[in-house]
Amino acid sequence: MRYLKWGTIGVLVVLSLLVPVLGMKPYYLHLITYSLIWVIMTQGLNIIQGYTGYVSIAQAAFFGIGAYGSTLLSVDLGLSVWLSMPLAVLLSGIAGVVIGYPALRTKGHYFAIVTMSFCMIVWVLMVAWDKLTRGESGIPNVPSPPSVFGIDFSKKENYYYLILAAVFLTLLFTYRFVHSRFGRALVTIRENEPLAQAIGIPLLAYKMLAFTISAVLGGLSGALYAHYTHFINPTPFTVDYSLNAILAIILGGSGTIVGPIIGSFILIFLPEYLRVAEEYRLLIYGLMLILITIYMPKGIVRILQVALEFVKAKAAGKSASKASGKGA
Amino acid sequence: MNGVFIGSYYVLIALGLSIIFGILGIPHFAHGSVAMFSGYISYLLVKRLGMDLFATLIISMLFAALVGIVLERIAYRPVRNAPPINSFIIALGLLMMIDNSANILFGANQVIIPSSYDRVFRFAGVSISSLRLYLLIISLVLITLLYLFIQYTKMGKAIRAVAQNREASLIVGIDTDRVSTVVFALGSAMAGAAGVFIGSIFALYPAMGGATVMKGFAVLILGGLGSFPGAIIGGLLIGITENFGTALLSSAYKDLFAFVLLVIVLIFKPSGLFGRKGV
Repeated sequence: MRYLKWGTIGVLVVLSLLVPVLGMKPYYLHLITYSLIWVIMTQGLNIIQGYTGYVSIAQAAFFGIGAYGSTLLSVDLGLSVWLSMPLAVLLSGIAGVVIGYPALRTKGHYFAIVTMSFCMIVWVLMVAWDKLTRGESGIPNVPSPPSVFGIDFSKKENYYYLILAAVFLTLLFTYRFVHSRFGRALVTIRENEPLAQAIGIPLLAYKMLAFTISAVLGGLSGALYAHYTHFINPTPFTVDYSLNAILAIILGGSGTIVGPIIGSFILIFLPEYLRVAEEYRLLIYGLMLILITIYMPKGIVRILQVALEFVKAKAAGKSASKASGKGA
Repeated sequence: MNGVFIGSYYVLIALGLSIIFGILGIPHFAHGSVAMFSGYISYLLVKRLGMDLFATLIISMLFAALVGIVLERIAYRPVRNAPPINSFIIALGLLMMIDNSANILFGANQVIIPSSYDRVFRFAGVSISSLRLYLLIISLVLITLLYLFIQYTKMGKAIRAVAQNREASLIVGIDTDRVSTVVFALGSAMAGAAGVFIGSIFALYPAMGGATVMKGFAVLILGGLGSFPGAIIGGLLIGITENFGTALLSSAYKDLFAFVLLVIVLIFKPSGLFGRKGV
C-alpha cells in the first residue's frame, strides 16, 4: 500500500509539472492555476479550522490583504514584485497576529463571529477607503514579477510554475508541520482543550501560531493571485469567499492534507460545469454544505479511505485464502 | 430618530437570535435571511393582493415561525449531538440557500413595502409618521409578550431550564425536542416581524440577510447573551452609533461601526455589557 501512496503522489507531481506543455486550452490552464492558488489558501485555513478546530471566517480577508498589499506596494511604491510579494505575506502575518490575539480569547461560535466581523471590516475598507484602494473600480495593470534567468513570468505557462512551486512548498511545510510536535498539540486542542491545557500546552501561543500560519498562507495565495490576474477589486474578498474556502475544506475532508486539495479543485471546477445553473450556484453550494455536514462530515477523503480499505481487505482476503489453499 | 428605528429593528432581530443562540446554542446564521424572506412575503401580499400592512405582519410572523420550525427539524436537529462546528456550517449553508432563493424569486433590487399609514403626529417638537409610531408600539408589545412568555408560562420555565442544563431538563421530564421547536417558532416569528418592520420603513433586498444577522450577533454579544435589557440597549446603541457615525464620517463606513464595536467589546468584556459571567 505504501507503493500505491507514493506512486499516486509521483504520478500527480509529474502530471502537475506537465500541465502547461500538454497543450490544453488556455481556459483549462487558467482553472488549474486558479485551483492551485486556492489550494494554498485552503491549506492555510485547514491549519486553524481542520487541525485546531477553530472555524475562521477571516481567510478571504487575509487573501485580500496579500493581494492588495502586494499590488499597492508594486504599483504605488514601484517595488519589484519579488519584494512586494514577501512584504505582503509579512503584512498578512502581522494582520493575523493583530486579529488573532483578541479573537483567540473567544471560543467556538464567538471566534467565528469575531473573524467574520474582521472580514467585513477589511472588505468595507477595501470598498470605502478609495484613496488607497481605488474602491470598487479596482486596480488594473498589476505588474508581473520581473524575469529571472530569462524566465518571463508574464507568460501564464511560466507563472504556473511559480505557483506550482509555492504549492509544493506549502504542502511540504503543512505536511511537516501537522506531523510535528506543534501539529499534534493543535489536534489535542481540537479534541479536548481542557486536557491540552492540563498537560501543559500553552493554548493561546499555539492557537496564535496556527492562526498566523493560516494568515500567512492566505496572504501568499492572495499575492500570487493579484500578479496572476493583473487586476484586483474588492469582489473576491467578501465573506462569501471565506465561506467557500470553508466549504472546500469540509467537502474534501477537514484535518487532512489531501482534503483541501480535492475540495479546492472541486470548488473551482464545479461552477464551470454548473454554468447553466449559475443563478442557482449558492443554492447548490448551501445544499451541498448541509448534506455533507449531516451525511458525510469527514468529506471525500473519508470515502477514498473507505474504498482503499475495502480494496486492501479484499487483497488481504485473497492472499489469505491462497495461503490456506496451499496449506490444504 | 432614524437611529432609534434602525436600533429597534436590531433589537427585534437580536431577541429572536438571543433565544435561539442563548438557549439552544445554535448559531442561527440564517436568522436574518428568515427576516428578509418574511419581509418579502409581506411585500407580495400588500402589493399583489392589496392587503393591509398590519394584517400581513401577522401572516409574515406565522410564515417565519413555520420556516423556523422546519429549519430546526430538517437541518439543525440531525447535528445536535455532533461537534458544535457542524451546526455552524449548517447555518452558513442555510444562509446561502435562503439568500440565493430570494434572489431568484424576488430579484436583486431593493423594494419597499408600500403602506398608506402616512399621517404625521407631532408632539413635544418631534414628528413621527403613523406607520413608524404603530410599528414602534407593535415592537414594544412583541418584546413584552416574549418576555412575559419566557418568564411566567410553564413552557417559558422549561425553556429556561433547557438553557441552563439540557441533560438535567431531560431527566426531570422536559420534552427538549418540543422546547427546540417552540424556541425556533418564537425566535423566527420575531424575525418575521423585523422583516416587515425594516421593509416598510427602509427597504428589503436579498443580500441583506447576512449583514442583518451579523448586526444581530453584534447586539447580542454587546448586550450580553441571554439578557433582555442587554439586547434592547445594545440594539439601540448600535442603531444610534451607526446613525451618528454616518452623519459624522461617511455612509460608506456605516457597517464598520457595529463590527468594530463588537470586536472591542469581545476583547475587553467577552460576556457583554449585561451578560452573566462565564457565558
